[in-house]
Amino acid sequence: MVKYLNLKINMYLHHPCKVGYSMISIEVLILFLIAASAVSYLLTKLNTFVGSMMTTITTFFTLIVLLIFGLNQSLESSATIVNFFSFEPTYLGLFFSIVITFIYFLISFAHHCFLSENEYKDVYNFLFLLSLAGVIGSFFTDNFLQLFFFFELIVWSTAFLIPLGKSKKAAVTYFGFSIAGSFAMLFGILLLGAQVGSFDISYGLENVSGVTAVIVFISFLFSAFAKLGLFPLHTWLPITHGNAPHTFSPVLSGALVKIGAFIAIFVLIKMDPVSELFVEVNLPSAHYFFALLGSLSIIFGTIMAIRSDDAKQLLAYSSMSHGGYILIAFSMLSSVAFASGFYHIVAHALASAGAFLAIAAVARQVKTTDIKGISGVLQKMPITYVVYLISVLSLIGIPLTGGFISKWLLFKPIFYNGWVFIGIAGFIGSIGSILYVFRPLSSLLSGQEQIKFDIKIKEAPLLMLIPMIIITFLNVYTGLFPHTLLTLINKVISELGYPRLDATLFSIAGYDGVMNPFLIGAVFLVGILISFLIFITLKYTHPFSSENEHLNSDTICQKELLYHRAHYFDQIDSSYRSVVTKMSDFYSFLTKEILLIGKKCVSYFMSNHIEIAILWIIILLATLLLGGLL
Amino acid sequence: MIGSLLTGIGIAAFGFFLQTLTSGLNRKIVAHIQKKHGPKWYQEFLDIFKLINKPSVHHGWIFDFGIIVALGGIIATAMFVPLTNNIVAFYGYYDFAIFIYLFFVGIIGMTISASASSNPLTSIGMMKALKSLLAYEVPFLIVVLTIINLSGENNLSDIAIFQQLDGNNWFIIALPLGALVVIFSLMGLLGKKPCDLYVAPCDSHTGAMIEHGGQELGMLYIMHEIAVFIAISLFVHLFLGGAQNIFAFILKYFIVYTSINLLHVLYKHFEIASKVKFYYKWPLFLAVLQAIVAIYFGLLINF
Repeated sequence: MVKYLNLKINMYLHHPCKVGYSMISIEVLILFLIAASAVSYLLTKLNTFVGSMMTTITTFFTLIVLLIFGLNQSLESSATIVNFFSFEPTYLGLFFSIVITFIYFLISFAHHCFLSENEYKDVYNFLFLLSLAGVIGSFFTDNFLQLFFFFELIVWSTAFLIPLGKSKKAAVTYFGFSIAGSFAMLFGILLLGAQVGSFDISYGLENVSGVTAVIVFISFLFSAFAKLGLFPLHTWLPITHGNAPHTFSPVLSGALVKIGAFIAIFVLIKMDPVSELFVEVNLPSAHYFFALLGSLSIIFGTIMAIRSDDAKQLLAYSSMSHGGYILIAFSMLSSVAFASGFYHIVAHALASAGAFLAIAAVARQVKTTDIKGISGVLQKMPITYVVYLISVLSLIGIPLTGGFISKWLLFKPIFYNGWVFIGIAGFIGSIGSILYVFRPLSSLLSGQEQIKFDIKIKEAPLLMLIPMIIITFLNVYTGLFPHTLLTLINKVISELGYPRLDATLFSIAGYDGVMNPFLIGAVFLVGILISFLIFITLKYTHPFSSENEHLNSDTICQKELLYHRAHYFDQIDSSYRSVVTKMSDFYSFLTKEILLIGKKCVSYFMSNHIEIAILWIIILLATLLLGGLL
Repeated sequence: MIGSLLTGIGIAAFGFFLQTLTSGLNRKIVAHIQKKHGPKWYQEFLDIFKLINKPSVHHGWIFDFGIIVALGGIIATAMFVPLTNNIVAFYGYYDFAIFIYLFFVGIIGMTISASASSNPLTSIGMMKALKSLLAYEVPFLIVVLTIINLSGENNLSDIAIFQQLDGNNWFIIALPLGALVVIFSLMGLLGKKPCDLYVAPCDSHTGAMIEHGGQELGMLYIMHEIAVFIAISLFVHLFLGGAQNIFAFILKYFIVYTSINLLHVLYKHFEIASKVKFYYKWPLFLAVLQAIVAIYFGLLINF
């Protein structure tokens, strides 16, 4: 069955033209999404379920169009209705838009489960689809200014979505960082346009040179860091992900932060290197420097995730860490590394969306995501538990999950080029992820059943289970049969001008190593089977409920146990606590100073006193007269 | 494929037998050093068979599932271990990433099972085990990176063959600092003093396995023995040039395990936080130093 499915998909990916579909315009697709967002707004006003279903159908339709017409290269680039827009369908844009639309589609299933209690449910669906329109536009536009416009569409629509969760501060923080990233990119775009005389993306990236190229490189990467939430522009991630609506956190983490990777690809791969080759590491020094910054993101994200007490914040820091992997992959300038980057985008999107959805399902029942506040929902929510487990196994990179393939591909160039410092970060990230992902597993999902939650906790509703089960299946499928995804990734890599990765149905080759995920799966299953046979043959156990256990019922009251439950990794946390708070202290200091300057500006320039206003007008006129402008 | 799978199962079974026997013999050796008689050389086998035939309790399906996954994952990893140049199950598929990541399945399975027991004390045990993992794995992996980079080989058996070629030294000679680091890491990996706190008998009341008894504990013992076999085999292939025949493998295996076990007798326990600090201080420093010296400056000890 799986083999047949694989054959069909691969045949389609290799020979899409045989299908013979007619063209569809990208412009029409974007306009359709904008119109659908308005319809969804009206329908949600009338009935939440109908409005949410409209959102799901719209995202599904968009996904189908991208899969059929995109892979068939039948997306029309010209714009006839809004004719000052122009598009260019590329495999790079197609890859990103498929991944992100797929996450939008899956998460939209769960809207109804959360929106019924939300005061602004109609706006939610409207903004959700509007942001997707921005996403499609961003990935297919061929013009830098239009790219900026579509980015702003995403930022503004999502900035109004986030406060529909727990806090408005989260929206402000998100907006602040996103705008900073956008304007850094705009600065680079304007400089590039001034030098090459065009805002065409391909032409601009090919022809920019000299100091301008360096500034464009830095400003674009600043933007990428802000969008991906990488160190040192990461502080918005935990605040925003932790407080965004439960259904939007998976979209933010699984999908929207990947826009940063899209920007990074422009300058890291599409532009000529702006720095000299660093011979010892066989990379341009600027690329190596940014790979090191990606490494810092991995380490910082990991240690911050270990010390997080909120499940969603923990996963947000995990996203920061995985953003570091993606940046490193695109800094390495080799096909294997690029394949790992693209594969990691998909693997992390699925794993992160699955983990966030599982936490959302628990939070829906117990109304909190605080790890210390709840425990023992496992018996009542077994499917949610399995979904979380498989998702976090992929985040760690355990074989049989998509995360393993991407990490295997990533470590190949690291090992072969001897990038020791990047390797250290990668190892700490991989092993550290075991520590942090198991904290919610052992403290929130497992652990003692709390009597106060005992009666009302139920398994997640069907509309939440559907995307969770699909994601779980795909987490495993991408770990067993990477060929399907690598076929599309190879097209993207070819488009970027690099040789394809050698991948067959059952094996991937990277440098001189060959990986056969299917063989690993088969061996693993044999191991499990032997273990199961030992268990069954000798089975002589009887169930023991938690009420009968002395330790369960009594000793949780001991201070020592409560301490360890609350401060799971306190012993190692204490060794770096003073260091990790420095960055947040710095941003707090910066915020205070900016607020102070803002207040002073308000008191100087926007005073209610007429005499001060007249004084400023006189100074302005005098300055203009002196400058000869009047 | 079936033949390879059967060979792999045979290697895992051999590994269990070899390690349990070696462990029993080592108990005798240590006892004699301490002027005691010690248990019978086959006492380890008796302990395990006694445990797996004893009744026990379980705390739901995840509790059992975790144990099955832990043992299954370790058996699968052992199936990928090459014994000699010729006794291999899956030739060409010994990528080191398999050992790194499949090996984690054991500890993850144990974590799943322990956390499902609902006993808060198991959390403390798992916390210690995971923190130890973070401590000893990173220096070890940096040394592995160095070896893969120098040999240009990614397969464990190819790394062993590389050392057997004329003009190449065993990596224990070429990379002495790296070998020292890996010995430190093995102390943690094997749960030997000074890095044994998470499995130490003195700390068993807050250990990961306090809710496991009888058959489940027996399965975890089997898992531990096979995990030790994998770890020692990795050392033999990474640093001692692998083995051209099974006798050479057994001899090297016995020497490595006994050496580490004797070091274990000399030390006292490290407290977990001290252990993490220690590994991120000296072994990490030495591993990075070795990597830089060997990769960037090409300085290897050659005879």
